[in-house]
Amino acid sequence: MTHARVTRRQVLTVAAVTLGSLTLGRSAHAKGSVTAAMYPGTWEEAYRAHVAPALKKAHDVDLEMTPLFAVDQIAKAQAARGAPPFDAFVLDPGPRVTAIDRALFEKFDSKRLGNLGRLPAGMADDWGVTVAAQVVGIGYNPKKLPRPKGWTDLLKEPWVSRLGMTGFQTTFGTVSIIEIAKQFGGSETNVEPFFVEIKKVLSKVAAIGAPASMPALFQQGQCDITYTNTQTVATLRGRDVDIEFVKPESGAVAFYTTMHVAKGSKELENVYKYFDTVISAPVQTALMAPPNNFIPVNRDVKLSRDLPMASLDEMTKYARHDWSKINPLRAGWIERFNKEVSK
Amino acid sequence: MRERLRPAEWQLALPLALAYAAFFLVPLILLIAVSGFADETITTPGLAQWSKFLGDPFTWKVIFDTVKLGAYTVAATVLIGYPLALVYLGAGPRWQRAILFVVILPLLTSVVVRTFAWIVILGREGVINQTVLWLGLAPAPLRLLQTEHGLVIALTQIEMPLLLLPLLSVMSRMDPSLRDASAALGASKWRTLSRVTLPLSLPGLVAGCMLVFASSTTAFISQFVIGGNRLVYLPLLIWQQSLVVYNWPLASAAALTLLVSVGLGVAAIATVGRRSRAYAI
Repeated sequence: MTHARVTRRQVLTVAAVTLGSLTLGRSAHAKGSVTAAMYPGTWEEAYRAHVAPALKKAHDVDLEMTPLFAVDQIAKAQAARGAPPFDAFVLDPGPRVTAIDRALFEKFDSKRLGNLGRLPAGMADDWGVTVAAQVVGIGYNPKKLPRPKGWTDLLKEPWVSRLGMTGFQTTFGTVSIIEIAKQFGGSETNVEPFFVEIKKVLSKVAAIGAPASMPALFQQGQCDITYTNTQTVATLRGRDVDIEFVKPESGAVAFYTTMHVAKGSKELENVYKYFDTVISAPVQTALMAPPNNFIPVNRDVKLSRDLPMASLDEMTKYARHDWSKINPLRAGWIERFNKEVSK
Repeated sequence: MRERLRPAEWQLALPLALAYAAFFLVPLILLIAVSGFADETITTPGLAQWSKFLGDPFTWKVIFDTVKLGAYTVAATVLIGYPLALVYLGAGPRWQRAILFVVILPLLTSVVVRTFAWIVILGREGVINQTVLWLGLAPAPLRLLQTEHGLVIALTQIEMPLLLLPLLSVMSRMDPSLRDASAALGASKWRTLSRVTLPLSLPGLVAGCMLVFASSTTAFISQFVIGGNRLVYLPLLIWQQSLVVYNWPLASAAALTLLVSVGLGVAAIATVGRRSRAYAI
């Protein structure tokens, strides 16, 4: 038996061919593509199913997604220092304000969006465009608990001993706690009343969990009531979990999810095509349908009966928050939450 | 006289050494440098974040809890893992292969999947609680999730391979005639275990304990998903400061504190291992 000998020249040739083909493949691919940061889970799946094919069909542009939560996008863009790992951000209001403060966006020219006229007023500004709305309220299991009326019920029996809560790490957690604080005399910048009230019932609270684990905790019956958004409620219902959404008496909370061009992006043209595709009526309609359950922002979309509002204008009545005031206080609130709830 | 490395030998280690320098040493130096800034925007040098972090009694509670979690997990894995290793030692080749497969099995699934599976097991309507209620051992479901003992139970399973793999590797190289000789000289099974098997397996046990301690104290996903917000450990503080409020100097101070705490814990385990070995011999 003879052994095949591999010469140094052969190794170098194979390495050169491999590297060369990778480089060629990249440049050929990059001509018509956009790399977008995307929330993992429902968002990523829905965008892969509906936005990517629509973008390819309308503009012959490939959509590549980098699954990242909003906070991770800011951290990565900041660490990259002008060489962004993606072309487009998708963010909630808190991280959006942080990104503006830290100059992570290119200036946005909304006139480049063909579908801009189909959005309600104020949905695009100098920094980006709104692509979805989120409505936050109370999700509860109607088979285990009576229907709660408002935020204060969360801290009363029989609800409190089945309550699952999260802290200030997420947008929905932060705005819900602010709304609870407001019912006890607090405000957008004063959540002290929440801490006073939660301290009285802390030992009874069923779960204080990581935001990502809350749907699993609800599904497993670890908690039967929680503050959450309509999309999570619809997703859980799609998995046959007993859950109903309740708009609190004082009003639900609305916030918008926006998209932005990353500073230093080389794909400006394709990024605008991507945004325009996302806000187009057919794509927004597809994103609203189960199992995606997004709240659309395009006026041409006929709203599903499962949504908590009859028209997009109704959302102007919902509670909104000024994140430029909240962000500077958030670190202190997180610290306080850790100290109050830890054993 | 110490043998000198020939050039060809140290050249072989060069790629790994360069990778370590680029991906461990440089980031570590950056981490130390960032922690030496007083403000979130990393512009003013100063130790304000260090004094804020270490001056808060809550930080010391979190450090203590983190080290305690590591110690509990090490104790639980040893308590369950060592007898299993003894079973492995006395088993035939076929059973040894089966045990090794069972030990490696958890490594074949992602730690995230294993962690979420523990929610199903430890939950209010989970397997353990259903069994407890069915047997009438408790009037209401036990609270296992978001408690320290629940987290230790989960980490014990998650980290078990890290203890067993080095332990089994050392045990499988042990000369069986030594135990036979001990028995032939009249030693009881317990005496053979304490004077022969245990001392000879100590290097593997110590290595396993170090790995379990380092891994469980830094297991952010398991700690946060199973422990929730009620149990605060150093990795959670690092995540909050680096990714939620973007205070990187404070996050760096917390990360270095974790590094030192884990390092001291590992060093303590190594020292205990060395002393026990000296005592046993």
